[in-house]
Amino acid sequence: MMKQPYNLSRRAFLVSGTAAAGLGALPGQSFAQGERVFRLGALNSITGIGGPYGPYMLEAIKLAVAEVNAAGGAAGRKFQLFAEDDQTKPEAAVLAVKKLVEINKVEAVVGIWASSVGLATMPITNDANLITMNTCGAPEMLTENKKGLAWMFQASNAIFGNAFAEVARRRGFKRPAVMAFNNSTFVGQANYFKSAWEANGGKVSAFVIYEPNQSSYRTELARVLASKPDVISLSAYRPDATIILKEWYQSGQDCKFIMPGWTANEDLVKALGKEATEGLISISNVAAEQHPAFKRFAAEFKTITKREPDIFAAQCYDMVITLALALEAAGAQADVAAINGQIRTVTGTGGTKANSFVEGRDILRKGQKVDYDGASSRLEFGKHGETVPDFGVFDIQDGRLVLKETIPGQLPA
Amino acid sequence: MEGYLIAISISVLIYLLMASGLALQYGFTGLVNFGHVGFFAIGSYTSALLALKGVPIPVSLAAATALAALAAYPLGMISLRLGGDYLAIVTLGFSEAVRMTLQTEEWLTRGMHGLPGIPRLFAGWVDPRMIDFCIFLLLLAVCAVVFLLIHHIIRSPFGRVIEAIRDNEVAVRALGKNPAQFKTRSLMIGAGIAGLAGGLQAHYLTFISPEQYVPLITFYIWIALVLGGVGSLRGVVIGTVLLVGFLEGSRFLRDVFTGVSEVQLASVRIWIIGMALICVVLYRPQGLFGKSSRRSN
Repeated sequence: MMKQPYNLSRRAFLVSGTAAAGLGALPGQSFAQGERVFRLGALNSITGIGGPYGPYMLEAIKLAVAEVNAAGGAAGRKFQLFAEDDQTKPEAAVLAVKKLVEINKVEAVVGIWASSVGLATMPITNDANLITMNTCGAPEMLTENKKGLAWMFQASNAIFGNAFAEVARRRGFKRPAVMAFNNSTFVGQANYFKSAWEANGGKVSAFVIYEPNQSSYRTELARVLASKPDVISLSAYRPDATIILKEWYQSGQDCKFIMPGWTANEDLVKALGKEATEGLISISNVAAEQHPAFKRFAAEFKTITKREPDIFAAQCYDMVITLALALEAAGAQADVAAINGQIRTVTGTGGTKANSFVEGRDILRKGQKVDYDGASSRLEFGKHGETVPDFGVFDIQDGRLVLKETIPGQLPA
Repeated sequence: MEGYLIAISISVLIYLLMASGLALQYGFTGLVNFGHVGFFAIGSYTSALLALKGVPIPVSLAAATALAALAAYPLGMISLRLGGDYLAIVTLGFSEAVRMTLQTEEWLTRGMHGLPGIPRLFAGWVDPRMIDFCIFLLLLAVCAVVFLLIHHIIRSPFGRVIEAIRDNEVAVRALGKNPAQFKTRSLMIGAGIAGLAGGLQAHYLTFISPEQYVPLITFYIWIALVLGGVGSLRGVVIGTVLLVGFLEGSRFLRDVFTGVSEVQLASVRIWIIGMALICVVLYRPQGLFGKSSRRSN
């Protein structure tokens, strides 16, 4: 028999393994004993397709929690954060959210990114009567929101697709092509672009849905470029957009791109260089770019992460602040339903404008109505908990995003 | 707390059901099936689509089992005449083809948008808070029946032939048996079990989309099998419990090691599984409960 060369290290492995297991038996840290905290769950896509965004969304949540706690909490209740990774997978998300509900006993879950995760976890959070806040774009989120406990901080892909078509029309393009990453959000966006464009008698020159995780998208791109489009509506995430734009640049064919803001931004310029990104049209609902809430958030975010926040991070920040203001308005003894009832009130029109938690809290303490305008949008919620933000249309010029115009978001007719 | 434990147990039992199907195919028949998730997906979508059309859940689950088993039939006919490695390639291709079909045939499956609002098992029959517990009990019963069935199969003359095929196919052929026929049947039974697991998962999650049926799931099942030991039902159980333990247990690591970020922890999870697999292969190549090979020397 062959001699096993690893006997000694097996013993070492056993010892260190036992030591590690022993450490596990130590009690976890205790938090603010005697004080009534608000237990907040963060369910982010740290790994999987959401990997480029999830970790920064969690940073934004932590930032907002720190802001609320530094101000003494909301209605005297400090936020205690429990974070979980949903791996951008529905079945992993179900277990993660069960842990948050059953073990951490959270009262709200924020930061849900993927529609598949949002749709899979909604039955559980609804059963447990939890407030959830997400950035999901699937229109089904609105119909499944049967208890009114879910709040969509991202515009649904119907609104996004419509806005893309509107920008293409305003810029005078005649032959748009559509290229989209194959997932629920982007396919929806692409379909709504097509229907919005065709509703005005136009024709889409090519319509290509591509499979993600490829090392090259030459075939798909060739099909689109062969139709000689003057603009391509590219619904993509950063990793695939980087490859597609590089291959388009190498092809030398002249054409413009309209892209979502979470992809077409300074990070993309860093990856591709200024020449390849010159003239890209970037659309996002950081119409609040000039807004004080966004400026302050962006500055704080940058000192921690050394980068600009994307739209999802800004939305996550707003989730926590909105929740804190609702809690403040509902009072320390309020139950989840009462807090949920205040979310629309503290963001709706008619109140005194506030751009931060402290500002909003002080207005509430004076007994006035407050209207929180967030870092991600003005935050006016529709009847199914959806936001219909205004969109900022940016051109990338010399490696920087330059705001060209603002267009109102609207649902397709 | 109980709710979370029940959720984990349901996860274990669904994996266990899939793993028992693969154990029959690989552990007892020696079929290298790299497309197990394809049958799981067929089961999920069949049961979900039928139930959404108003078919009672027991009927749709039966249909899911049958359709997954039937899907294995042509696959077996094509590939079982070829050597083992070819079956691995064909099955892997098959599961990806299934996923692509689910993504592109929007008229049937709604493509990437997935199927929301699938009827839950026991909904309307019991108190909503008890549904998960009832699903857990049902899965426990289903697993018990499936294990008894497999136990019975491997003790039967059929079982002796498939084990003989695994150990020495040439000898079986020399005895006048047709290995292809036995292999097809074993493949179909395993696929049917995976289909049933898929159907049960669909009625538990109430939302499915093609992204859930990536080859990674197949390889999770393989990891469970390798950890526990192939060719042993006890090994399948231990392997599956260990796998889900590693996958889920890492969530609690952060409660202990407070300095670890979520991003680092996500890598730790994969690292632990990889290390466990390497250690098992180094020190116990037959798996924790596997028997050493019966192949004659």
